[in-house]
Amino acid sequence: METAKDTSARRPVKLLIVDDSNIVRRRIERSQQFDDLEVVGTAANGIEALELARRTDPDLVTMDLTMPQMDGIECITQLVKLKPEVRILVISALSDKATAVEAMERGANGFLDKPFTDRQLNEAIAELMY
Amino acid sequence: MLLSGVDRNRRLLTAAAGFLLAAVMGLVLIIGFRLATQIRGNVGTLQRASELETYPSVVSQQLTALRERLDTLEYTGHVHAELAESVRGFDRDFAALEREHDLDPAAMHAATALWHSYTPVLTPVLAYHGEPYSDTATNSSLSRSGRVFYAHVRRAELFAQANAAALHRQLAAVSASLQARTAAAASRLRWLLSGGVLAVLLLGLAAAYLQLARARGERAAREAQEQTRDILATVREGFFLLDADYRIGAVWSKALTHMFGRENFAGLSFEELLRDKVPPETLATATKFIKLLWGERAHENLMKSINPLGQLEVSMDNGRGGKETRYLQFDFHRVTGPKGVKHVLCAVGDITSSVLLSRELHEAQENAHSQLDMMVSMLHSDPLQIGTFLDSASAGLKHINAILKEPARSHAEFSKKLAGLARELHAMKGEASALNLMSIAQRVHHLEDMVAQLKGRSELTGNDFLPMVLKLDELLAHLRGVREMTLRLTALRDNAPSPEATLSTPALRIGSSGPEELAATLHSLARKLAQDHGKEFSLTVNGLADCPRSYLSTVKDCLIQMLRNSAVHGIETNEVRRAGSKAAGGQVRVDFRRAGAGYELLFEDDGAGLSPETLKEAAVRKNIITAEQAAQLDNRAALALIFKPGFSTRSEVSMDAGRGTGMDVVAKAVYGLGGKIGVSTNPGRFTRFKIALPAASETAVA
Amino acid sequence: MLREEELKTFVDGTTRYFEVAAQQPATIGSPYLLEGEPAMHDYTGMINITGKREGVVYFTAPRAMLTVLLMKMQESDFSHESMRDLVGEVANTISGNARRDFGHDFVISVPSVFAGEKPQISQPAGARAFVIPIHWRSHSAKLVVSLT
Repeated sequence: METAKDTSARRPVKLLIVDDSNIVRRRIERSQQFDDLEVVGTAANGIEALELARRTDPDLVTMDLTMPQMDGIECITQLVKLKPEVRILVISALSDKATAVEAMERGANGFLDKPFTDRQLNEAIAELMY
Repeated sequence: MLLSGVDRNRRLLTAAAGFLLAAVMGLVLIIGFRLATQIRGNVGTLQRASELETYPSVVSQQLTALRERLDTLEYTGHVHAELAESVRGFDRDFAALEREHDLDPAAMHAATALWHSYTPVLTPVLAYHGEPYSDTATNSSLSRSGRVFYAHVRRAELFAQANAAALHRQLAAVSASLQARTAAAASRLRWLLSGGVLAVLLLGLAAAYLQLARARGERAAREAQEQTRDILATVREGFFLLDADYRIGAVWSKALTHMFGRENFAGLSFEELLRDKVPPETLATATKFIKLLWGERAHENLMKSINPLGQLEVSMDNGRGGKETRYLQFDFHRVTGPKGVKHVLCAVGDITSSVLLSRELHEAQENAHSQLDMMVSMLHSDPLQIGTFLDSASAGLKHINAILKEPARSHAEFSKKLAGLARELHAMKGEASALNLMSIAQRVHHLEDMVAQLKGRSELTGNDFLPMVLKLDELLAHLRGVREMTLRLTALRDNAPSPEATLSTPALRIGSSGPEELAATLHSLARKLAQDHGKEFSLTVNGLADCPRSYLSTVKDCLIQMLRNSAVHGIETNEVRRAGSKAAGGQVRVDFRRAGAGYELLFEDDGAGLSPETLKEAAVRKNIITAEQAAQLDNRAALALIFKPGFSTRSEVSMDAGRGTGMDVVAKAVYGLGGKIGVSTNPGRFTRFKIALPAASETAVA
Repeated sequence: MLREEELKTFVDGTTRYFEVAAQQPATIGSPYLLEGEPAMHDYTGMINITGKREGVVYFTAPRAMLTVLLMKMQESDFSHESMRDLVGEVANTISGNARRDFGHDFVISVPSVFAGEKPQISQPAGARAFVIPIHWRSHSAKLVVSLT
């Protein structure tokens, strides 16, 4: 992967994947092509995500917006309070832009529209972390 | 950045040159003034010194003149006075000279000493008063004092003669030193002036060079500015900068004028720019979106997809006095300086052609898909059934056109059309989807949507019907296409070699449009409905063979409608059924039988049944009856509400039911045949429709 | 196929004529598709469209309506010629609007006027005609649009 340059010098990037769909979680895990990116956890809702974030101290979180129990917007709000340094990439099907903009207002760093290609995912991660 | 740095340096240099110039000129003036003063003083002194030089010989001559007068016994008074005057003058001038500094000290000293040596001999001469002569009548002679005076004069004369040359020499030396000094000062002044002029010249040259360079810089800047202006006047995109208060900066590209129909944008707020073009919610979201760019967290590249102004539909002048719809795309970019974000650059592009292109592409794809769908569904349907459908659809459309054609000028008249239109369209959609002719069903659905939207309007005019009539035309064209395709398919099948092949799939069977086909249609529809709505149920059809051909079309319409209602409203999902201790998989039964002179059609499902209370609530909500009327309805009358036009118990709209027509179509059709329809239900257990039809006269074929 | 904005342009051109000429706008009735022979009123002004698109647009009105319209326009001449001129004017206005809105796609003929006699209508093949009733005061006329 050409975007993952000079990987030896850095400590691995810890990635937490949050999405209520199994398929999407596996898809993200499988599609990322960075040698120094380590998936430290996957969560199916906001509550799990916060719990995992506390335990694993991720650098990057991919976040769905529509999830049961605690949705992405709320989760982003609390996650930013908990770990201000964490980068958050929202990966969600864009239905209305107001919600998407709100997610960014709450502290997400970027937005990736579902469905996405491997290339788009990797470029987004590279933009945020490298 | 670079330009302004060079500029600043140049400015500093110019200032330094100016300061130096002033300093040098000041210095030259001060020194020059002092030198000039000195020279002027020296010139005065020199004059005095050269005057002094003459005194020794003057004094000597005056003494000689005095002595000669005494010799000749002439009057001496005036010569004596002149001598005194000379000595006094010498004393005065010498004293003045002594006060001067920097005179040749040796010469001055010698001159002083010499002059002082004159004093003892001159004093008796000058001090003499009296008459030097004693006069007799005949001759005169020196008096006694005269003789003494004479001796003094003679001594002074001799002394003066002896020393005049020396004194003159000394005084000449003093004068010479003074002259040398003045010459030196004058030469210094000359140098100073030359140096000053040179320095001023150099500095002037430097200043001129700097000025020239600055002018060149300014010209370059002017040219750059002009080029920027040219670019802004020519680009097709609208460019402007937004500050932190969402206000437009002083510069923008000309394209904005056409896009927004105004000339001046300076200081305009983003909201003012878009207020008339964008719904308020979108504008609010857009403002928040731009605000994200002022923050640090959001990555510009990762928020393009959520840009609320990525594709904005606006109405613009078409340059011929009319309006046209264009699509604008707003792009936002951070403009950063050393202290973070300075501005947000907004680029507005007209993407109309690409939007239209992608739309056309999409439509073409959709068309191709639906044509393919059409082919597939036609291959699985009976051409005769399709033919029958097309006939009834054409009749339906004729009816629709007739409804439209009825004169209408008032809201009430327009409004009245809607109910009729909805009924026709709904029936047509039911048949189309029963035959799986989705391309037709979708088009009819679209028309139904238009009708439904108009129903909510408080004021209706002919204008509101313009889009509908266009859609109707499109539907007619589509139906014509389908008919052509059917004819071709039929021709193809008629020429097919193997009869088994066509018989192997029941749907491809060629037969008369009789009761068997109706049963097959119902089964096929049941399967489709079950699949579409996630329901599970079985359909049992009995006795349709007894149905007279003249009733077949109506019976079909009724059964399709009732089957759809059962699938959508009646039969519960398996979870609900289990919760109600009912067997998984619903049952729908259709029984047609002779009854007395006529016929009876029973339709029954073991679904949720109808709740009179729910029906009443729905009817009140839909303004079919008032709450007071509802309170007075008994259960029977409440059940009859489902035959009212505009009644529906489902709020969302799907392709299959819930449009508010349905059972009223059925009832109308039954009454049309002189029949009766009744409903009975047990909430949670079943719903049963009983339709009684009179004896058929075979001539009454519709 | 006729687009909605095109149909709107023709309709607006017609109703606007009434508004401008007689200070009283016309309204439109419910539009429908023409079946069979076109029904003509006494006077008809027609434009033919050629070029990328082909078709015909005509405005047909009864004498009574035109008479009132002429009166409203302060005209005192209610002759046959005046009536002909008037429907020609309406057709002209429609054609002007169409030129303004659609420009080069449309080549529009000079209006032709028919009175009484059955007009020669060269309706384009494959295009249905849309009939838009035009109501003005108590009178009704028709705008017929047929365009590929």
